[in-house]
Amino acid sequence: MTDELEQLYQTTYTAVVRFLYRKVWDAERAEDLAQEVFVRALAHKPEKPRAWVFAVAANLARDEARAAVRRKRHLTLLKADPVAQPTVAPAADTMVEHDERVASVHEALITLTARDREILLLWDAGLSYPEIAGQTGLAVGAVGTTLARARRRLVEAHDRQNPSKGNHAAHS
Amino acid sequence: MRHIPEDELHAYLDQGLSRSQCVEIESHLAACAACQASRDGIAALRDRTTALLARLSPPRSFPTPFETLRRRADLQVSARRRRVHLVAWAASIVAAVAFGWTASHLTSQASTAPIASGIPAATPAAVSRQAVVSDSRTPTATPAILRPMASDSTRARPSRRPTRLTIRSAAAAESPASLVPAVSAAPELELTSIDIPQTAHEFELDGMWRTMSWAGAQEENGDKLPHIDGLPIVQVQVQAGEQGRQPLMVVAQQLSSGEVIRTIEGPAQDVSHLLARRTMSDPVPTASPVGSSRPNPVSPVDGSMAMQRGDRMIAITGALPPDSLLAMIRRLNAEMRSK
Repeated sequence: MTDELEQLYQTTYTAVVRFLYRKVWDAERAEDLAQEVFVRALAHKPEKPRAWVFAVAANLARDEARAAVRRKRHLTLLKADPVAQPTVAPAADTMVEHDERVASVHEALITLTARDREILLLWDAGLSYPEIAGQTGLAVGAVGTTLARARRRLVEAHDRQNPSKGNHAAHS
Repeated sequence: MRHIPEDELHAYLDQGLSRSQCVEIESHLAACAACQASRDGIAALRDRTTALLARLSPPRSFPTPFETLRRRADLQVSARRRRVHLVAWAASIVAAVAFGWTASHLTSQASTAPIASGIPAATPAAVSRQAVVSDSRTPTATPAILRPMASDSTRARPSRRPTRLTIRSAAAAESPASLVPAVSAAPELELTSIDIPQTAHEFELDGMWRTMSWAGAQEENGDKLPHIDGLPIVQVQVQAGEQGRQPLMVVAQQLSSGEVIRTIEGPAQDVSHLLARRTMSDPVPTASPVGSSRPNPVSPVDGSMAMQRGDRMIAITGALPPDSLLAMIRRLNAEMRSK
């Protein structure tokens, strides 16, 4: 059982960190949370560890986001200065990398609805349709529909922000 | 004949369809140029999405060894168990207090009646009952309660102390007198902390270390030398990799407080092996070229922290509290990452 978890750790740790990073936008925090996920998995010994690990990761990221919003609200209250930060991108200001190419995808990603984004990230983390369905409560048949929409919107949003396509290829 | 809807093509390419659905789609695709074109378009869209998302990846890092997580999980489980016990204990106290309150409430209600009617009748009865209760409790109850507590505390304390003793005495391996009680009583708490591959490889670790100058080592190994910027370097030791093996490097640095820390980088197996050996018997390799005489610059009770990335591992050892080591290995990891 734990050997299975260890194997899972070796194969999916990076994917879990990446998944979390795309939610908390802090590499170190993402790693801490990913470790927490596996520590919990070791304690709970879930039956379907792979799906379980991502479900817990999503929960931790959600708690994290809520805490961040609370912190921000407190800060705003403390400062009594409501125009401090436009909060469209909840954590854009904490992004470590200010690489334009990264930022443009980040901005495109946060234009998606929460559900579309979640499903796209789960798919990109390597989960199968049934696993995504199980985690999000979506019917398996609806996963394809959601992914189709999410992909289209991501690319559209990205290209809208960067009208000259291939521009990024030119200076990289 | 209906064309294949967009979302079904996504599901088809994502391998999210059943076998029979796939067969159906494939047979249609074979005959329908329009659907072939839209399949190609969707395949390109998929690739594009994947490529865009790939940009949103954190910098690569060394994952913590799984063993560390296992230990953390064990700690959490036992902490939770303790908490459950505590809650049960608290609940029993609440129950007892509540019961006592109800009981006293009832008796006080009951006793007010006789007191009101006839005081001399009620008082002696209550007093004598109390006396009997305290009498019966003192001789029998006290030893029963005291005995397990006393033996518990005597057992608990030495079992914790020898753990340290074992490490120290096993490392020294000279004073059999201190070994005897330690080995018999101690649980192998800290000794099992790292996987120890018991192979012939062990011998290779003994005598092949070279002590190098910082400049020489840097010339040979470039930026891969593990170290924390800004701390004076005391010693650099390298075990050359043979036949494509990566070298194993140990850099000793001195903190302003005088303690020496060692940063280690190398193949994960070698590093964990080194750490395990260090805890078991010998500290980080010494300067001796043959490995016969072993000056012992590192105290065997040093702590260590390790992080693994793929088949590589970095580690820090030093006589410092674990959180300092953790902070340092984070810094080391960040510095190595940026190179």
